[in-house]
Amino acid sequence: MSRLTMLVQIAWRNLLASPINLIIGALILFGTFLFVVVGGLLDSLNAAMARSVIGSAAGHVQIYSAKSKDELSLYGSMGGDPDLGAVTEFPRIKEALEGHPNVKEVVPMGVSGALITSGNTVDVALEELRNLLKAKDGVVDRPEYKGLAPAELETRITASRRHVRQMIKVLEADQKKAAAILQDKAIDPEVVAALQKVSSDDFWAGFDTDPWGSLEFLENKIAPQVTDSQLLFIRYLGTDLDRFQQSFDRMQIVDGTRVPKGQRGFLVAKLFYEDQLKLKSARRLDKLKDARALGRLIATDDELKRFVKENKAQTRDIVLQLDDLKTSEAVTKLQGFLKSDEKDLSALLTAFFDTTDENLEARHTFFYEQLAPMLQLYKVRVGDTLTIKAFSRAGAISAVNVKVYGTFSFTGLEKSPLAGTTSLMDLMSFRDLYGYLTADKAEELAQLKRETGAKQVTRESAEDDLFGEGNTVVAEATAGVIDEKKEFSGVGRRLREDDLVRRVYSDAEINGGVVLHAAVILKDPALLSKTLGELNALSTEKNLGIKAVSWQQASGLLGQVILFFRVLLLMAVAFIFGVAMVIINNAMMMATLQRTQVIGTMRAIGAQRTLVLSMVLVESVVLGLVFGGLGMLVGSGLMSWLHSHGIAAPNDVAYFFFSGPRLLPELSTANLIIALVIILLVTLGSTMLPAIIATRVSPLRAMQADE
Amino acid sequence: MNAIVSIREVVKEYQLGQTTVQALRGVSLEVLKGEFLSIAGPSGSGKTTLLNLIGCVDTATRGVVEVAGKDTAKLTERELTDLRLNTIGFIFQSFNLVSVLTVFQNVEFPLLLQGKLGGSERKAKVMQLLEQVGLHTHAKHRPSELSGGQRQRVAVARALVTDPLLVLADEPTANLDSATGNQIIDLMKSLNQQKGTTFIFSTHDHKVMQHANAVIRLADGKVLGRESAKDAVAHALSLGEAPANEVRA
Repeated sequence: MSRLTMLVQIAWRNLLASPINLIIGALILFGTFLFVVVGGLLDSLNAAMARSVIGSAAGHVQIYSAKSKDELSLYGSMGGDPDLGAVTEFPRIKEALEGHPNVKEVVPMGVSGALITSGNTVDVALEELRNLLKAKDGVVDRPEYKGLAPAELETRITASRRHVRQMIKVLEADQKKAAAILQDKAIDPEVVAALQKVSSDDFWAGFDTDPWGSLEFLENKIAPQVTDSQLLFIRYLGTDLDRFQQSFDRMQIVDGTRVPKGQRGFLVAKLFYEDQLKLKSARRLDKLKDARALGRLIATDDELKRFVKENKAQTRDIVLQLDDLKTSEAVTKLQGFLKSDEKDLSALLTAFFDTTDENLEARHTFFYEQLAPMLQLYKVRVGDTLTIKAFSRAGAISAVNVKVYGTFSFTGLEKSPLAGTTSLMDLMSFRDLYGYLTADKAEELAQLKRETGAKQVTRESAEDDLFGEGNTVVAEATAGVIDEKKEFSGVGRRLREDDLVRRVYSDAEINGGVVLHAAVILKDPALLSKTLGELNALSTEKNLGIKAVSWQQASGLLGQVILFFRVLLLMAVAFIFGVAMVIINNAMMMATLQRTQVIGTMRAIGAQRTLVLSMVLVESVVLGLVFGGLGMLVGSGLMSWLHSHGIAAPNDVAYFFFSGPRLLPELSTANLIIALVIILLVTLGSTMLPAIIATRVSPLRAMQADE
Repeated sequence: MNAIVSIREVVKEYQLGQTTVQALRGVSLEVLKGEFLSIAGPSGSGKTTLLNLIGCVDTATRGVVEVAGKDTAKLTERELTDLRLNTIGFIFQSFNLVSVLTVFQNVEFPLLLQGKLGGSERKAKVMQLLEQVGLHTHAKHRPSELSGGQRQRVAVARALVTDPLLVLADEPTANLDSATGNQIIDLMKSLNQQKGTTFIFSTHDHKVMQHANAVIRLADGKVLGRESAKDAVAHALSLGEAPANEVRA
């Protein structure tokens, strides 16, 4: 022990004696600091991202068909959504997987995307008027009109008519403005004539006599003049909604309710709802307010300036939404607020939306308290039935109507575009859209075959079946078989849809069909790697035909981001320590050569070679430990500070990686240990050669006078 | 057997390029326990080579070198190191102290290598030696803070701290002025008398030589004879050999 103390003391004093040791020390300090801090940050990011990915859709493990053409990528990949094979025996797979002691739950899934369209503003207003008129005739399509007293219904019809007339006034004004700047031949006389017709009192006086004809005229001639309809891409996850809600406990309903157990339904991702379906002016006001809360200034921030500019220019969405009474009310309110005599709503709105850092708060509050109650803030409202159109697997367009029960978000990921843009759909509707046969459809198809005597023709026997001898193809007219009136009247279809909306599916029905992949929730996530291997082995053993991958693999490129940064860190650290190794090697070599007489003396007075070897190595290790220790200390200090203060997510994307608005980095003990091991390896490795050379110094060197 | 060192017909050859240089040519001598022996001769006479062989830091080309009854040619490198540690003390011309250690630690170093004594025993032993060489008040000093004479006294203490049977000193006064050189030789002489430790030191300085009990005279790698110090000094003066380095620090 005393000998080691002596060696450490020699090492310590030699350490301070040579300036090059300070350079080496600085390199070791920086390398260790970098490893501890960046490594810790990456670990924390990884853990946070794991929480985001696992908690928002992936679960700990994902399974999908082993026959899939592509690998599963939950957040999409470079080439769009992956081409996954269908998992057709899900109940058997689920049962087998849930037999594993570490599997808590298996949630069936399928990710896809579709288009939804929002009709233009005039279309929407006309649809409302049409529904109200139908309700008056006793055909109640919309639930909110049920039970309305005739007087109330009449009031609403009057308001709706005024709204349409107000829209026509706006369009007329637009047309006059256009006429002032366009050449005559650029103006369609039919459009002008149509506008003149519908703005006349005569048209509206005759409306009650022929409401359906008038509506048709408005729909065909006026609505197309407004081009604000929107085609939106919506990404959704088809799943067993009950199981999903139970398994992913970060999920919370923000508006509306959960989809009733076993029923078809749609939950819109809250961020998508806000970003894509909210009135743009309102959304921009929200974004301005959020940005101000983060310290950004409208006066200096180009993006915020753009929001203000767009809000000032795009007042039409609001103007078109208001009937004459509401317009007048809005004008009065805005005149009071702005202390203005201006009578034009559009001009008042332009002045109102001229928001600055000083007036934003007051205008935001005024907007939501005074104007928003008069507006339809969202294009799709909770309770609406959404028509979703998608390309089925076979390439045909299929559509389903699903009721929107509410919006949802994942706790901590409210602002993350990655977690906040995928909506949730029941599995039955998903299968309809994706083009796989549900049990209902399979039965319907079988029934059709039986009734029509259709025979399945396979590819292999098609020629014989169709053209072979003995088979006579007889064309038969089937006129009269289909009752077109019944089929296309819409009543039957609506009845079927109503039935579908209300129908409660059993677990067997939900799980019984095709799924594309499934999330496996583990009881003990720490055993992920082991369980993953066992699940794959189980698939082989029981011929399940599935592949199990970790959440990281399942998240595709996203999951590789941390790995990419980790490789970068390792490369940087390897470079720094590589340089340190070369310098340490050279420095120790020089030090050894300069100290041959001391070493020779030690050897002469009785030091064995091993002691000399230890002396040089201890010196190097002390160098590494002192400066590496300092690096760890500084790194740990910084990590501790970061942990207590947190790192604010700089943008919405970072919310996902941070698993919330702030990342609270944790100091990783493993990183400290790895750093220590690296330091020891680097210092010992780089000193080995000088140390061996030192052991070869002859004791004779002591006898040679150092001139 | 009273001889601590026994050398018989020892030849030491060096290879210098294509040329073989004979540093020692059939040297034979015996050194008895408790002797204060000087090896004298002009530069290149083979004094240091002879001390290296006796000190087991080098091996003979031919002949037998026995130290403390052990034939050094038959010992392994590790055994030779142990022999040096436990039997021989070294005093070098350039003091050869470890600059990063204190005076105390330099003296303590061989005891640590031996690993025989505990901390307190080591401390007592080192302080006793430092007191004997008159440097107990400088125990915490670094060699760089000492004069040449003080450094050589530290080296003497280090050489004696393990109670060796034999102390070898190669030109111990060569880097010292004559007064300091004399003090060192006096110190060595008194320790020789107090402890009975055998001292063999090389020198070509007749003033240093005169302190020895006996002087082995070397020339051209051969022993010219064993003389008394008085005769040796007279002999050296008659040959006009250089006096001591009087001003070298």
